[in-house]
Amino acid sequence: MSETKYLETHEWYIIDGDNVTVGISDYAQGELGDIVFVTLPEVGQEFSKGDAIVEVEATKTVAEAYAPMNCVITEVNSTLETEPELINNDPVGEGWMVKAEIKEMDDSGMSYQQYESFIS
Amino acid sequence: MSESKTTSLYDFHLSKNAKIIDFAGWSMPFSYDGTLKEHHYVRESAGYFDVSHMGRLRLNYSQIDEINYLICSDLKNISNTKALYSIFISEEGTAIDDVIFWKFDDDLILICNASNTNKIKTHLDIHSINYEDLTNSTDLIAVQGKNAIDIVSSIMPVPDKFSTLKDDKYIYARTGYTGEDGLEVMLDTNDTLGFISKLEAEGVKPCGLGSRDTLRLEASLPLYGFELTDDISPIEAGLKWTVTNKDDYLGKDVIDYQIETKDHKHLKRFKLNAKQIARTGTICISDGVEGIVTSGNISPILGYPIGFVLFKSNPADDLVEFDIRGNLIEGNLLYKRFLS
Repeated sequence: MSETKYLETHEWYIIDGDNVTVGISDYAQGELGDIVFVTLPEVGQEFSKGDAIVEVEATKTVAEAYAPMNCVITEVNSTLETEPELINNDPVGEGWMVKAEIKEMDDSGMSYQQYESFIS
Repeated sequence: MSESKTTSLYDFHLSKNAKIIDFAGWSMPFSYDGTLKEHHYVRESAGYFDVSHMGRLRLNYSQIDEINYLICSDLKNISNTKALYSIFISEEGTAIDDVIFWKFDDDLILICNASNTNKIKTHLDIHSINYEDLTNSTDLIAVQGKNAIDIVSSIMPVPDKFSTLKDDKYIYARTGYTGEDGLEVMLDTNDTLGFISKLEAEGVKPCGLGSRDTLRLEASLPLYGFELTDDISPIEAGLKWTVTNKDDYLGKDVIDYQIETKDHKHLKRFKLNAKQIARTGTICISDGVEGIVTSGNISPILGYPIGFVLFKSNPADDLVEFDIRGNLIEGNLLYKRFLS
């Protein structure tokens, strides 16, 4: 598995061979406040880099998580349907959102260090 | 832009790791432990809110007739121990501000929205009503919750519901903005930390403006700037019950006309059977009547999205379709309060 990378739109992703796991950053969940609803995509749905894949409703505002690269969804974290607070409690762990098969590799995200200086 | 104002508790909020937001020109705590947790503190036990950003004016009892002329409720004939929710009405019949009066034998305390303090002061000036602005010399702490009265009764005498009390330290009333019982307490800024430590010793938790908003919405209470504005009358906002003023008052002819004809905008409660929240500004349609959402959020207790929507006229149907980011989401209008 490669290192966790971050996007300017506050998603994280981890590449594992041909697959990628995506969620939102700790900073993003903190800005959103309590997450109360998550709308996940369907397995098999295809996304291009930058497409909205997940919709997150929080008490403060609504946000979308975007695809870090062209990919096809292979698995969604359906636990989030009943426990959306997992994203608040463990955004880069149990709060992962989707796993997808990479259609076009794009590992241009920021390292954690770069992301930290981006958000500060 | 002038710098944000802070209450005397600002450093205390920071020491509690509060998330701070700007609200009506004030730097205020949005949350401490998280909005949902704080919501449940109040529904299940008790929380306290720093609401010192709200305007606090002391009025002379001798001018009660003049004050009564500016509001839609009967302040004059209620007893001198009562708290009264009322609305300052413009000549056009719209809401200048919704406020609380605390009535005492010798004076009245007027509590107005932070965003409207200057507007209210100007309005009082125009009508030659004298006031002493207590906003900076005092704090206002709301203690709210299922167990709030039990808890505060060990600290101070508890008045009847919607009634006031004062002693040499506290001026207060049994009122609130969460749908739960509780007190709103005005006190000298030097006494606030001592009061809060008494509350915390009894397990009362700090709550921010985030949960104050979800609590008031779930309790079907309006927020000025959203459900009530310079363009909306109390009748339109579903607050006809506040119209108890039997004398003449500013805007009365418009209010009376609206009551008689029902020809006005209509504010309604709604719920969605969806995982989308219809937020402020969301457009909707019901029975051909267009509406706009004034406030919307999840109801943490009910678990589904709720809100208020303002229609141009009274829709005949309870089905309503919201345009949420291009998706049409169906909802229902409710004729009862969200929480029974």
